Amino acid sequence: MQTAAIVTRSLTKSYGELTALDSFDLEVEQGSIFGLLGPNGAGKTTLIRILTTLMRPSSGDAFIEGLDSRSKGRDIRSMIGVVSQENSLDRYLTARENLELHARLHGMEKRLYKHRIDDLLELMGLAGRQKDFPDTFSGGMQRRLVIARALVHQPQVLFLDEPTTGLDPQSRRAVWEYVRSLAGSMTILLTTHYLEEAEQLCDRIAIMDHGRLIAIGSTQELKDRLSGATVYEVEFAGQGADHYAALLGSMPCVIDIKQVENKIAITLECWECLSEIVTALNGAPVRRISLQERTLEDVFISLTGQKVRE
Amino acid sequence: MLRGSLAIWQRDMLILRRSIISELVAVVAYPLTIYLAFGIGMQSYIGLVDGAPYSMFIAPGLITMTAVSAAYNESVWSLWFHRRVQFTIESYRVTPISVSEIVIAKIFTGFTHGIIKGCAVGLVIYAITPFRFPLEHLLQYLLFLIPGSALFSCAGIISGTVMDKPETIGKVEAVLVMPLIFMSGLFFPLSSYPPSVVSWVRALPTTALFEGARRALVAGEMLPLAALQVALSSMVAFVAAVYIFRYKMSE
Repeated sequence: MQTAAIVTRSLTKSYGELTALDSFDLEVEQGSIFGLLGPNGAGKTTLIRILTTLMRPSSGDAFIEGLDSRSKGRDIRSMIGVVSQENSLDRYLTARENLELHARLHGMEKRLYKHRIDDLLELMGLAGRQKDFPDTFSGGMQRRLVIARALVHQPQVLFLDEPTTGLDPQSRRAVWEYVRSLAGSMTILLTTHYLEEAEQLCDRIAIMDHGRLIAIGSTQELKDRLSGATVYEVEFAGQGADHYAALLGSMPCVIDIKQVENKIAITLECWECLSEIVTALNGAPVRRISLQERTLEDVFISLTGQKVRE
Repeated sequence: MLRGSLAIWQRDMLILRRSIISELVAVVAYPLTIYLAFGIGMQSYIGLVDGAPYSMFIAPGLITMTAVSAAYNESVWSLWFHRRVQFTIESYRVTPISVSEIVIAKIFTGFTHGIIKGCAVGLVIYAITPFRFPLEHLLQYLLFLIPGSALFSCAGIISGTVMDKPETIGKVEAVLVMPLIFMSGLFFPLSSYPPSVVSWVRALPTTALFEGARRALVAGEMLPLAALQVALSSMVAFVAAVYIFRYKMSE
């Protein structure tokens, strides 16, 4: 039987009156890439800090590869890699020295880490800059170096806390490629604000808010759970949009209708209602009817609200 | 157990090696200026202090001051910088080493800085001034300098751990650390204090350090109680530094 790589049970963390994590239950399968989404202050970083043993929970349990985070901190830290939000690179050490220090902190022998570091620098495209200091690197290169550092000791579980924040699109895609290349070889828990990133990389996604888990599933499952409603866009050639917007709006299967110039967006109770719409539009100057795909962002906003968090 | 401490200390020594010249120039300039200004410039006005020329009186204190200041400054700024600016402490904490190993490494780094810089100032004073001491006194002097540097290194760790703002660190240095050093008989004999104050001043570990170090280096005289006081203080400071750092990290 396969053990879950990460398990939390009723995990709670309070800071005085504020509850950052509230009875949080989670299971992450071994070898999967798991995305954790949530607005600012949702509790993502608190969860990662507990899972990486940087913080103790107020109550509840957290297990990494079956090891209790309260009593087996050192063992857990030997099998995890962490890419935190801050780069936390040592600016007084060269790229290679940063990796060597990390290897020594993990108790690796020089003969073992030497080749491993060579390989990682090559993989991350930093071999030519290994003797340079991180301050001279671009943001993308620094991020790649942080990821390389987290991989030196070949962790079983990798935590990526907003790994591409602040990177340009090219660097972001380069990081995605590296993360994808790791898929299957280790479990990856990723937090991100970029929903496209979660959609591109993650097998499963959890959405959390106010310290609670509010939805979990694959991207498609989350989109399907948004609601049974389906949105179609009808574009008219020339005039007629006003008349048909009023006509369609009066139909019982239409939940909502919005008109922008010669286009109307019709929200239906279910896709089966489409035939009624097509019948009603018989003879109308329709140029195009298209299905509006729900995005992960729609799911995220519908679950967490539109209000900006402090 | 101390694998992590060794790795971090080696990292710190690598950085020190790379910047040793600029570090030493900076660290030697200040005590040397004081020595030239007070020890040479004011000597003729002050005459003998405790039976010794003023330049002889202040030289051991300046060497000791350099060592302990370097130990304090390295510890406080290094810890603050790694904790608040570079976040390297956090990157150490997600590796399989204990919090105690990190703090022990930083204490040893501060201590090493203190010893190296204190010795550098001692050599410069020895080379360019008439200050001389028998080499056999050095061993007794180190019995004060080593725990003294450790004491200030631990004090630096405590400050760097509990203070989040750099300006607070500067204020503590101005209000607490420097007065403790200067009032411990560095520039004048303790007999200058009013009798009611002397017993309080003597109770300070810094007084035991500066007084004991001076007697050891100049006269080859060993003050066992003073040595014990400095050693015990450094041990208490060590335990406190480890405890406070662990507590702060668990917050």
